[in-house]
Amino acid sequence: MTSDQQTARAILTTPSDREIRVERIFDAPRERVFALWTDPDLIPEWWGPRGTTTVVDQADVRPGGAWRFVVTSRGVEQGFRGTYREIVAPERIVLTFEWEGMPGHVSVETAVFEDLGERTKVIATSLFHTAEERDGMLGSGMESGMNDTYTRFDELLARRA
Amino acid sequence: MVQHQPIDRTLAALADPTRRGVLERLAGGSATITELAEPVGISLTGMKKHVRVLEEVQLVSTEKIGRARQCTLGPRRLEDLEAWIASYRRMLDERLDRFGELLERTRGASP
Repeated sequence: MTSDQQTARAILTTPSDREIRVERIFDAPRERVFALWTDPDLIPEWWGPRGTTTVVDQADVRPGGAWRFVVTSRGVEQGFRGTYREIVAPERIVLTFEWEGMPGHVSVETAVFEDLGERTKVIATSLFHTAEERDGMLGSGMESGMNDTYTRFDELLARRA
Repeated sequence: MVQHQPIDRTLAALADPTRRGVLERLAGGSATITELAEPVGISLTGMKKHVRVLEEVQLVSTEKIGRARQCTLGPRRLEDLEAWIASYRRMLDERLDRFGELLERTRGASP
């Protein structure tokens, strides 16, 4: 093992270090951004990486609803799946994300839509869970695990306010 | 330094259930091509091809020892989440870029 890998592993030990956060300001009102984001018919237009095609196998856009998208890249199909946790129009969406090529590693993706009048800030975060944590979440710890994620995210928002 | 492979190559390498089985097997210790091939009932040639795909994205390393080729988990192990997270971040970035383009394309259309 190289020292780079040891460093990488070391910095991934706390949940906050496993949180990916990406944000953008879009030149469109919040209602429109939210409507496009949650439209299953439009998923193939933007969800997958460039140069890939995305087919929506399932998109039951409501709390507890399942989603599954198949992304094809160079003739190889990859399945991604999860469950919608929160759909709060036009403010936020929380869902679980699991790549079928790495089963058991589940992340919680949150998209928050901030109203800036004619513009909208979208803050997309993804908190990555290890297989062990996922297994814990599926047990009795599930609710508190999810709540922790929300609390942390709320704190994050509060800090930036 | 671990090189980050394009996500689609890594995804492709991991898309195959036989190759995921190889990684699971190697997580328990190194094995020769023969030892990998026999339990899953595929030819040595077939297993060599699978191992080569995994080797190209550094998920597996191989070393010729005598007549056998010994396989171990590569420098880019699955449990090394850093590489996956870096790929994931790029994916999210690109997703937001593409979403912005969609907004532009559909400007003026309803809703």
